[in-house]
Amino acid sequence: MNMNGEDPVERPQEIRNIINGLERYNPEAAGVLEAYLTQQCEEKFCDCNANRALLKLYQLNPDRIKDEAITNILVKALTQFPSPQFDCALHLLSPAQTNPTSSSELSEAVGHLRTLNLQLEGAQYARFWATLDSDDIYADLTTDIAGFEDMIRLRIAQLISQSYREIQISVLENWLGLDDAEEVQKYVVEKCGWKVAEGGLVQIPKNAENEAKKTEIREDVNIDMFARVIKRSWEETA
Amino acid sequence: MSTYQKGMAPIRTMGDDSDVEEENLVNDYKEQVQFEELDDLEPAGLSMAQQTDDIQSRLQQAAQPLDFSAPLEAKFQSYDSYCSLFHFILNSEGPVDLEPPSHYWAWDVIDEFIYQFNSFSSYRARIARQGNNEEEIQMLRENPNTWGCYSVLNVLYSLIQRSQIAEQLGAMKRNEDPMAVAGDYGSKSLYRMLGYFSIIGLLRVHTLLGDFSLALKTLDDIELNKKAMFARVMAAHFTTYYYVGFSYMMMRRYSDAIRAFSHILVYVSRTKNFQKSAQYDSITKKNEQMYALIAICVAFTPTRLDDTIHTALREKYGDQLLKLQKGGPESLPIFEELFRAACPKFISPVPPDFENPEANIDPIEHHLSIFMDEVKTNMWSPTVKSYLRLYTTMDLSKLAGFLDVKDDELRSWLLVNKQRSKQLRWTETGLLDGELVNISDLDYALQGDLIHVSEAKVGRKLVDWYLRNLSRTYA
Repeated sequence: MNMNGEDPVERPQEIRNIINGLERYNPEAAGVLEAYLTQQCEEKFCDCNANRALLKLYQLNPDRIKDEAITNILVKALTQFPSPQFDCALHLLSPAQTNPTSSSELSEAVGHLRTLNLQLEGAQYARFWATLDSDDIYADLTTDIAGFEDMIRLRIAQLISQSYREIQISVLENWLGLDDAEEVQKYVVEKCGWKVAEGGLVQIPKNAENEAKKTEIREDVNIDMFARVIKRSWEETA
Repeated sequence: MSTYQKGMAPIRTMGDDSDVEEENLVNDYKEQVQFEELDDLEPAGLSMAQQTDDIQSRLQQAAQPLDFSAPLEAKFQSYDSYCSLFHFILNSEGPVDLEPPSHYWAWDVIDEFIYQFNSFSSYRARIARQGNNEEEIQMLRENPNTWGCYSVLNVLYSLIQRSQIAEQLGAMKRNEDPMAVAGDYGSKSLYRMLGYFSIIGLLRVHTLLGDFSLALKTLDDIELNKKAMFARVMAAHFTTYYYVGFSYMMMRRYSDAIRAFSHILVYVSRTKNFQKSAQYDSITKKNEQMYALIAICVAFTPTRLDDTIHTALREKYGDQLLKLQKGGPESLPIFEELFRAACPKFISPVPPDFENPEANIDPIEHHLSIFMDEVKTNMWSPTVKSYLRLYTTMDLSKLAGFLDVKDDELRSWLLVNKQRSKQLRWTETGLLDGELVNISDLDYALQGDLIHVSEAKVGRKLVDWYLRNLSRTYA
């Protein structure tokens, strides 16, 4: 297995050929990868690996750069949190594009997305929703990505279920970026299959992660580890 | 630092390596100058024997380091001679019938080729940043394609393709005869070796450009073990593991990074008595860098290290390691310091902006700032863990009180630490693959505001101890 959103099953053969061969260096391939990015944005899947190939082409051919493609790639990577995907994409941008003091439109946009990413990576979900609401620029940046908020919300819910057995509805309200307790209740019951007990406590079914069972880590011992010693003693006696 | 006093290279502080590096380069340069003089003496018409001599000396020269402070003309010239040499090797009619001068020659050539590309790019960026050397700026602007990224990549990929090295390695992996798929070129050791080390070269170039996953993917055909071809050339062995480990670290796969660094550091410490001292000197710097990187990785993922590594790490970076492991804002400057000292000299693949000197930011700052984002996200994890270890159940508000933070802040810290306790770890296949494993001995789950904590007990590990003592007794 691999990182989230690294090699999705939706990837067509044509794209596979590009990113696995020398075609990935052909500036003409940028058009194909851009169209594929649009497809990802519309069809709600994510291929960070192919998107990095596009960023690489931009890195080598700055005259090809399309600002919109860069921001869309970053937003798609954002939805994979927590993961290094967003950082991996950032590393392929030029220093000027990520420099907060330069005042180009792109570097400002990248700065905004980086703030969002920090909040998601840092599990500051309430702050994330507040930031998203704070400025129209965020709506502009995420407008191409179908179902952006839903994807983030679902991911947050998934992550909560890996840490919590029970959680207060008031906390969830802030974290899921929903308007009131009623909506939260509807969301967790319908989308997540969780139960809401009396007193506004949401119960999350048991899973491997939210149990925190006691374990003992023991050393795996097998015969191979002793192969050399045994071989040597055999040779010495022989 | 006691290990260093036994007649080994004097310890050098991180960061000011250029002096020593320079000195080495100057020594090498003296030899190289002799070659240049030889070239000048060559008469116009060459006999057959002289031609062979000529190509032999070109092969030799390609493996020679260029002086650190060589003038720009020399750097341009060096690029031209690489181009013509590779052109000769790749585009002659049929494979060139030449034996490489030595078994490490191919490594030296690729190594020096990439080193010069790397230092040329850094130099060009620095000239643009300083913006006061009109003459050199003019020269660099007129020759934007010299040491261009596309041509360097082109050389490496062409050598790989010509030699069919990927096919050969594939056959070896399947226990088949590589010669059956090697073709006219790949069956010659000159091409095979150049192709092979070009793969390692690509690993390096991709890392220098910040493409860490592509860097690791490049090694898909190479099996990392002591039987690998690169292991026969110490410098290649060493370099490979440095870049593999670094790329893993940048992809947050700290346990894989530690494994890569430990592997090679243990190997070096066990064989240092057999290494020629000159060779050992040249790897001392990378050695130090890898210890610094291990310190960073261990701070992210507390790990039980090999005893030799552990002792050396405490000697070299004991104070820093303590601070890193404690976390919090005080640890941030240490992370930065170690990262700067130990990272590769990142470059930008395109010519800088000579019009606006201040727009050319050092790529190291760029990559460092991204790396520091993740460091900051994690900086409270050590604090959280140190408290949780003391309890089996704990009230969230009470703990928040101890730590003097708001409840919601602590909830985020708890989630972050829990989420980071899972890491991809390499199994047996490609370097990028792995399985998601729990790397922490501390686990917890929340029930409302009640934290349930469970600590995994680690049983004693005896196999390693047993084997080591056995070999000591019977050695």
